[in-house]
Amino acid sequence: MNIVNIVVAYKYAPDPQEATVSSDGTVDFSRAKAVVSDYDAVAIGYGRRLATACGATLVGVCVGGPQSAKPVATKAALSRGLDRVVVVADDELETAGSTRTAQAIAAVVSQLGDVALVLAGDSSMDVAARMTPSVLAGLLGWPMLSDVETVALADGSAALERLTPQGVQSITVALPAVVSLTSEAWPVKPPGMKDLLAAGKKPVEIKSVADLGLTLADEGTVVSRAKLGGSARLGVVIDTSDPAAAAATLVEALRAAGALSEGGLA
Amino acid sequence: MPFQLTDEQLLTRDAVRQFAEAEIAPIAAEIDRDHRPPLESIPKLAELGLLGLVIPEEYGGTGADSVSFAIAIEELSRVCGTHGVLVEAHSSLCTWPIVHHGNAEQKQKYLPALASGEAIGAFGLTEPGAGSDAAHTATTAQRDGDDFVLNGQKIFITNGGFAKTFVVIARSLLDVPGVKGLSAFIVERDTPGFQVLEPERKMGIRGSSTTPLAFSDCRVPAANLLGREGEGFKIAMQTLDGGRTGIAAQAVGIAQGAFEAACAYAKERVQFGQPIAALQAIQWMIADMAVDLEAGRALVYQAADLESRQEPHSQASAMAKLFCGEMATRVTGKAIQIHGGVGYTEAYPVERMYRDAKITEIYEGTSEIQRLVIARQYLR
Repeated sequence: MNIVNIVVAYKYAPDPQEATVSSDGTVDFSRAKAVVSDYDAVAIGYGRRLATACGATLVGVCVGGPQSAKPVATKAALSRGLDRVVVVADDELETAGSTRTAQAIAAVVSQLGDVALVLAGDSSMDVAARMTPSVLAGLLGWPMLSDVETVALADGSAALERLTPQGVQSITVALPAVVSLTSEAWPVKPPGMKDLLAAGKKPVEIKSVADLGLTLADEGTVVSRAKLGGSARLGVVIDTSDPAAAAATLVEALRAAGALSEGGLA
Repeated sequence: MPFQLTDEQLLTRDAVRQFAEAEIAPIAAEIDRDHRPPLESIPKLAELGLLGLVIPEEYGGTGADSVSFAIAIEELSRVCGTHGVLVEAHSSLCTWPIVHHGNAEQKQKYLPALASGEAIGAFGLTEPGAGSDAAHTATTAQRDGDDFVLNGQKIFITNGGFAKTFVVIARSLLDVPGVKGLSAFIVERDTPGFQVLEPERKMGIRGSSTTPLAFSDCRVPAANLLGREGEGFKIAMQTLDGGRTGIAAQAVGIAQGAFEAACAYAKERVQFGQPIAALQAIQWMIADMAVDLEAGRALVYQAADLESRQEPHSQASAMAKLFCGEMATRVTGKAIQIHGGVGYTEAYPVERMYRDAKITEIYEGTSEIQRLVIARQYLR
């Protein structure tokens, strides 16, 4: 099997678990530490297995603001099993959406050459739009498959299993391709101490938008943000001293609220 | 001088914290309740590289710096003091003296197994009549041909129940009194005449196996003499310099775990119509705990950094051990106070942390011995 490069697209972004939500619903990320998310760690871990099996180089590609290029950021990604990383770090990309992010990844993939596969996690951790792999595939003119659970590489093609609402779909696709993995595709473990210490010795390339000769697309401007209409909580407390009566009361209340039909959940 | 952690040290904290929360926190209360050594954790600790932290890469270890080691112990101890001391004693007390005083054959023979977790290490210095007072070590090691024959008893040996490799201090120069007659030996668990006795039932760190050792005409090959004859006390004291920093890191970790539990509880516990975190009495305790923790952590990292740079660190490690041991008892005590009645029950982890914290004032040199070490530096 002659596969030279496998790319993993990853993001170094604030951890939503460390964000705080104020009473008016605004989310404050200012005290949230930036990390490589577990979604991306799935893609890196899976990519490591594929690259090792076929002797390919596993290249991480990260797009973001200047903090994505900090040594602690690149080491965090490299310690997960990447062979090298290319970071497109630019003030212009600090708040990049899916289109601009995909533009930058596509430019790096084109410069690298010989890329058989681009892997991505289930979604980015901070924006979670799940759009970037699709836009990237469109820019590259490659097929894109989402919700992939397993990948088996062969010469010029890959056999994939996708999780769909109807069940598992087996697909064979010609390479190169863009694939986003489910969050269960690979068991994420923390990087080992040896991997952490080796990370600083691996190659890192930092590029700007100008280095790539990119003209970033207009992603539109957010004019206003409207709060989603919240569902008011009724705050009904059911006395559970008689469990059977409590269950009946609960069912009746759910029916009255339209949440339960005769056949089960509405 | 502000202490700045390196990228690798910051990432070590993240990785060990993630591991500890996923693999260790779920069993911490159970191993404490059952006084059960967490043997199932050993392959996991090895896989992450935590058993070879102080071992050079050429022998299968990680070759991490001492600050990274302290951070790892701190993070393990944040969720479970038992796991903290298991790795600390294995690394600081058994592995470290072999790395620094072993010859090439000894390193090749013992270090790869200690790094992989195939062997866990332990250290035998304390005896019924010689704890801090090593000069009165009664265990003897009499030369007989190509062997030393060990006789005597050791007590309070951490990891004793399952360790395979022991570094043991015994008197080999029988006509040399005091500490100059002591030597260090590597003793394998299955050596005839060597017996590990019943583990102690302890107040805290209950999952840690703490046992007596008995030597009865136990023949140890002369090839297992660590360093030169008569260097046993020097090796033990250098070993304990690093060990004290490790125990101080354990104390910081235990205190950190209790502090976080106290903050979380203070924010969720409502009294008089408001979370108790809104009460100044609670805020003052939280503030004092935070300052205590930061001061202790700074002392630990300073001592560890000196060790990494191979600078003298006896005094720094004694200061870290003294302050952090007493700090951990204070902080975990306040954590119980903030919890009120439930903090005194097994339903919350702070009572376990309080019991675990107390030992950090005692083992690897009591607080009183640390004060002696520190005062000597100024009164010479």
